[in-house]
Amino acid sequence: MNYALVLNLLGRLLAVEAGLMMPSLFVALADGGRDALAFAYSIILALAAGLLLILFFRPRERELHAYEGLVVVGLAWALLSAFGALPFMFSGAAGYFWDAYFETVSGFTTTGATIFSQVEQFGKGILFWRSFTHWVGGMGILILTLAVMPKLGARSAFLARAESPGPTFSRMLPRMRDTARVLYAIYAVMTLLLTGLLMLSGLPLFDAAIHALGTAGTGGFSNRNLSVGAYNNVAAEILITVFMFLFGTNFIVYFRLLKGEGIKALRHEEIRTYYLIGLVAIAVITLNTTAHYGDAATALRHASFQVASIMSTTGFSTSDFDLWPQFSRILLVLLMLIGACAGSTGGGIKVSRIMLMGKSAGREIGHTVRPRHVKTIKLEGRLVDAETLHSVMVFFIIYVFFLLLGTLLASLDGVNFTTSFSATASCLSNIGPGLSLVGPMESYGHFSPGVKYMFSGLMLLGRLEFIPLLVLFHPAVWRRAH
Amino acid sequence: MYIIIVGDGKVGHELASRLVAEEHEVAIVERSELVLQRNQDMLDAMYIKGNGVSVETLREAAIQRADIVIAVTVSDEVNMLVCLTAKRLGARYAIARIRDPEYNRSQRFLMEELLIDYILNPERTLAMEISRILRYPFAGGVETFAGGQVEMVDFRVAKPDGLAGMSLKAIARHKKHLPQVLVSAVERDGEAIIPKGDFVLREGDRVFVVSDTATITAFFKALGKNTISVQSAMIMGGSRIAFYLARILLETRMAVSIIEIDPEKAREMTDMLPEANIILGDGTDHELLMEEGLKKNDAFITLSGRDEDNIMAGFYAARNGVRKVVVKNNHENYNPILRLMGLDSAVSAKQVTSNTILRTVRTRSGAAGPNQVQRLYRLMDGKAEALEFNVGQTEPVIGIKLKDLWIKPDALVAVIVRNGKVHIPFGEDTLESGDRVIVIVRESGMNELGDIIRRH
Repeated sequence: MNYALVLNLLGRLLAVEAGLMMPSLFVALADGGRDALAFAYSIILALAAGLLLILFFRPRERELHAYEGLVVVGLAWALLSAFGALPFMFSGAAGYFWDAYFETVSGFTTTGATIFSQVEQFGKGILFWRSFTHWVGGMGILILTLAVMPKLGARSAFLARAESPGPTFSRMLPRMRDTARVLYAIYAVMTLLLTGLLMLSGLPLFDAAIHALGTAGTGGFSNRNLSVGAYNNVAAEILITVFMFLFGTNFIVYFRLLKGEGIKALRHEEIRTYYLIGLVAIAVITLNTTAHYGDAATALRHASFQVASIMSTTGFSTSDFDLWPQFSRILLVLLMLIGACAGSTGGGIKVSRIMLMGKSAGREIGHTVRPRHVKTIKLEGRLVDAETLHSVMVFFIIYVFFLLLGTLLASLDGVNFTTSFSATASCLSNIGPGLSLVGPMESYGHFSPGVKYMFSGLMLLGRLEFIPLLVLFHPAVWRRAH
Repeated sequence: MYIIIVGDGKVGHELASRLVAEEHEVAIVERSELVLQRNQDMLDAMYIKGNGVSVETLREAAIQRADIVIAVTVSDEVNMLVCLTAKRLGARYAIARIRDPEYNRSQRFLMEELLIDYILNPERTLAMEISRILRYPFAGGVETFAGGQVEMVDFRVAKPDGLAGMSLKAIARHKKHLPQVLVSAVERDGEAIIPKGDFVLREGDRVFVVSDTATITAFFKALGKNTISVQSAMIMGGSRIAFYLARILLETRMAVSIIEIDPEKAREMTDMLPEANIILGDGTDHELLMEEGLKKNDAFITLSGRDEDNIMAGFYAARNGVRKVVVKNNHENYNPILRLMGLDSAVSAKQVTSNTILRTVRTRSGAAGPNQVQRLYRLMDGKAEALEFNVGQTEPVIGIKLKDLWIKPDALVAVIVRNGKVHIPFGEDTLESGDRVIVIVRESGMNELGDIIRRH
């Protein structure tokens, strides 16, 4: 590994993170200066560490190898989460580092799982920082860096590929920098639009911004203990429902719409499947919960919000779905595993992977029956090569492995199976709430420090889709090459 | 600029990487999944799988906003069609690589009817470069500027020159004995240096000198080099390049013999080149080379399909005292080693192709105003560049003494051509409208004179 280059890049990313804390500092200052010092100290520390790395490590060879791109992404997310945890420590919001780290990882990975059972007592700066990490982590810290720091080298595409979710990554424009800028531009405009609409629906500016950030990143942190349910505002719920689905959609569609492709842009297999699954799940859960809520309209209201929230891997809640009939609860857990679209801000296994696995299974069965028939697998009208199919299978295997491992390790804390399984699935898919002891009205605060670190790891693994973190355990990576 | 390259072969990849380095937007269209997988993400460019002739693929590559389309697939016919389709779909400029000599004669027709703006025949271009090198048998390479009035020749400082240990100032003081050429760039230990007056030459330095043809010849004569031009040449390998080269050399009444191993090809060559001496045999066979009078030839050029054969045969010829040896070598990374071992003239079709295309791209960059670079040469495998500009009437630096202007560090105003006269400028000189200027820079990506010379 080219240590100088990797450390230099990490330094630059820390400097970017220092910049990312600035808005929270301003919010804290506007909030009567509460916690402003915590942010000031954190910014200074991140900036100092970043500059030291940049100054001390000047790479001679400036081009990344593919695996170094993965290493940078893996290390960056772990490191930036540590520095991002500082405001929680300095402000006293979290008493222990593992709590602060869990909260920050949960933020950056857009999980939205929290260790705080009460959040309304915190200053606005801290609340804003929590939600802002969602926004940055949703689209990606490295993609943001590519957009604002163009001189990261010709092979910076490795960084973007390692960070963006899904089996394949498609450039929208020839240059990575332009692609990153277009992505962030679409993202920012949609976030601002939602903020404005939420204000129209009656939410105050700060609450609207917090929930828009949480929805955009498909994160799920709220500034209210009862999440979106606290407002009991149907208009806001509908807005958030629609936008959760929209942010869980592959962003290539928005780019195509911008290019003026019109209705053609919507002919996207993955997106159609995503919405189809969503609608079917809403219908089924509405039927199943009508008795629980007493009337179909209320059931539809909560079912649609909750399905959008779980599928897009956001994790907001309007109602305690842990009290739903068993069938709906299990269905939600399955939706957790599926997750959102590739190329969106959501997590999970991703709809396109599920589709590819389904198609492979279908081909296998067809092949057994009619061995002479040649069948290929296509997605979006394009042939899918064996390499991609293979990596999808491997992804699934790794996902299941960590799901089982996490369930086992979480049970060390003596929680029931529903809790440990749903908490693990929720962390891996970056959702937030689970069932039972981690249900929407509960928090992760009661777990032991070790399990909290484990969940932090699972969230990072899920967000980065395993490989960038797992390569760190390959000994060849750490051998000095330059 | 937005540039689409069709065909991700050797040349396509090389072009893409250089164009990306020059900050252009680049999209690459390639049919083979295998090639795509290997190359994807190595460059900051968009890769599109598909056939470059297909309208759908080209539309996916946003052809309507393409400034230049470069067709470099293996097939001449595909390249032609790519250009036609691309132009019809709105591309502004189309370059095609066409190698078959058959099409050579109908070049004008193709350009007009298929809307191709620039046709590149790499083999013929390479043959022309080799023929230029043969004009200065003591030099490693030659480039011409200003319509042939100015030449840049590189050579290696050796003991008998008497140049080693002299500073450039000292060389300039020898005016009486030494015709005045400008030392514009030096390669030492793999580093490119734009030298100042107190720079001291060392044995083994590769020196690039610039002046007009007569002065350069006189300069090398004064250094005691054998400047008699090459009278006879032996070519190993009857390739297309050999054919083009032999044709050029035969026109200058040179004696040319070609060694070809394949009887069928040898007969064809005899047909096409009746004045050349075609020998059937293996060019790597030393006995055969001796028998056919290798030592009597002034030049030995190895053009077979295998780089290793070319290099080894080249070494053998050089050992046996052939004055000028040129080897074709596509492995660019071997070149420094070859130079260390005494083979200064290594050429490659890939290099020539990408250099020529890049030059075309560069001259089309921006608004193609009068201050745009006219010609561009890459020196020392791209570590430095020589650029030729025309000084326009509106150029803000006109009439100001060079010493009073800001000149980019590591850049050198090498030559001014005024009224057909070649002139090596000093601090007191000025640029005037209508001048042609040749500038040497150590950085790549300069498009305008204003990038290099400005008012303070």
